[in-house]
Amino acid sequence: MSKTDFQGTLEKVDPCCYKIPKSHKPGMRVDGIIFANETLMAQARKDQALEQVANVACLPGIVGASLAMPDIHWGYGFCIGGVCATDPRQGGVVSPGGVGYDINCGVRLVRTDYRSEDVKPRLKNLVEELFRRIPSGVGQSGKFRFQGKEMQRLLGEGPAYLQERELATAADIDHTEANGYLGGADPSKLSDIALKRGQDQCGTLGSGNHFLEIQIVERVFDAHAAKVMGLFENQIVVMIHSGSRGLGYQVCDDALVNLRKAPEKYGIDLPDRQLACAPADSPEGRSYLAAMQAAAHFAWCNRQLLMHQTREAFASVFAQTWQEIKMSLVYDVCHNIAKHEEHMVNGQTKKVWVHRKGATRAFPPGHPEIPTTYKSIGQPVIIPGDMGRASWVLVGQEGSMLRSFGTTCHGAGRLLSRTAAIALSKGRRIDKELLEKGVIARAQTWKGLAEEQPEAYKDVDEVVSVVEQAGLSKRVARLRPIGVIKG
Amino acid sequence: MEQALPGAQPWSSCNHFMFDFFEHTADLGIEVQGASLEALFEEAANALLGTILQHPEKVKPTITKSFEIHETNTELLLRDFLNQLLILFETQRLVFSAIKITLKENALLALAFGEEFEAQRHGRNHEVKAITYHGLSITATGNGFKARFIVDI
Repeated sequence: MSKTDFQGTLEKVDPCCYKIPKSHKPGMRVDGIIFANETLMAQARKDQALEQVANVACLPGIVGASLAMPDIHWGYGFCIGGVCATDPRQGGVVSPGGVGYDINCGVRLVRTDYRSEDVKPRLKNLVEELFRRIPSGVGQSGKFRFQGKEMQRLLGEGPAYLQERELATAADIDHTEANGYLGGADPSKLSDIALKRGQDQCGTLGSGNHFLEIQIVERVFDAHAAKVMGLFENQIVVMIHSGSRGLGYQVCDDALVNLRKAPEKYGIDLPDRQLACAPADSPEGRSYLAAMQAAAHFAWCNRQLLMHQTREAFASVFAQTWQEIKMSLVYDVCHNIAKHEEHMVNGQTKKVWVHRKGATRAFPPGHPEIPTTYKSIGQPVIIPGDMGRASWVLVGQEGSMLRSFGTTCHGAGRLLSRTAAIALSKGRRIDKELLEKGVIARAQTWKGLAEEQPEAYKDVDEVVSVVEQAGLSKRVARLRPIGVIKG
Repeated sequence: MEQALPGAQPWSSCNHFMFDFFEHTADLGIEVQGASLEALFEEAANALLGTILQHPEKVKPTITKSFEIHETNTELLLRDFLNQLLILFETQRLVFSAIKITLKENALLALAFGEEFEAQRHGRNHEVKAITYHGLSITATGNGFKARFIVDI
């Protein structure tokens, strides 16, 4: 395995779209399509991500194209930023690698009624309070425990179960993708190890690229959509990025072990072991989907409990209830998931399994799966950038249904490996550099900050401009970080 | 071309270990070497420990744990062995300073010496989500074996 530049054919379709024709390598069933401009494509060529787009095009039952978003980078099996839709009626497969280990990793945005001048005098206290209350980093357990029947209900029902325990509200659930509920979830499909890994991790942030940020709405680009979402310039908001923690990782790992013999059994020729898959309608496929959906419920509950603790921290620092501060959930999106959705494929409506691996659903205005509040503006899309520059709020556009199975990007996308980022941080204090930019950052390890430094990421503004130009989603607001909690 | 980054090795106290990192954009690529397959597996375990802990050298051998892994493919056997160590950390908070490996036909016996994780003393490094299959390889070298694997961070 080498880190050489991509040498295959890349055809420029338009200023923000490239094609890897299916003639690139034997076994490709569809073309590869990458949304990127010249700058981002030059970056994407430098590792194996584009070859991974071509590998995914080999999966049985794939329809349309093997897609990648402008935040594309090298993953394991699938690239990060990859989208793949498979048709079960054409032998379409499900692949745990197309979802990732962190099932339903995602992002939520919480609004407040505060303006920056209300928070800045107490920002240091607020960051400390959040860092103290919100468990993060390796081997850190949380204050919530879910065992036995409680865990079974959480896995089977998602955040609706937390509502019963007064840890979530109806409005929270209404503003969660799919209302935080996937009908195919079956908690009995999870191993004891997966349950054990999850029992004390619901409500914990984790480490790596997961974070909690206090941000300022720096600029509004679509006044109407921002107003509908309760956003305004100079407002304080909170962004939370986490997933299904050890429970989800184990569900994926168990599935990959279970699928080891599947390629032989179903006559599937795979270019990479990590693309292990089985027909969606096979026992192995159904079992994975049922467990994956239960893990997705766990992830939504995790982000809900992280938000709950965030509300408690704000209430404690500002001596107001979260309801008084109007800390409502703007929206929660998943960016590592497989969803059973209806899409037009070659002029026909088909129900396909859309794998989004580091990619976000972006349904346009009027789509039946969007909550009533947002029906007229399109589905809110939350795009985390990096901790020094910016993050974004977008809304889904019609182009996503025409070009990308209702999908847009998920973040800035990594530019540097973790080792390269560490090497780049030698002799520097990332926390002090951030402070000079007006960002107070707290992390469990200096290395966590070094690996996640802004320079490790692509320019999120450029990524977002490509998805807007491609008609997949539209810019609503640019958010700038002022407080960061990392694992 | 692929690049190892020896200068990026963060633990000066761990220089006696036979492992290094190679570049992977999203996650962490690890390369280990061993004079025998058993030594290779033991070094891979050291590399995983060093990935999870800031001070792997502070782990004391006060608890003994034995386990077996059954798998016919040697590369998958290595992955499953590392995965078992990850599971023991995640579910029982156990970390190991030394592991004695015995390889049999299609199986591995591990005798591991370690203790319970203590955040203050051992320090936190990376949360390893999983040992992936992507680019997993074991190759024979002139003086033993080399393994490469990528852990999801």
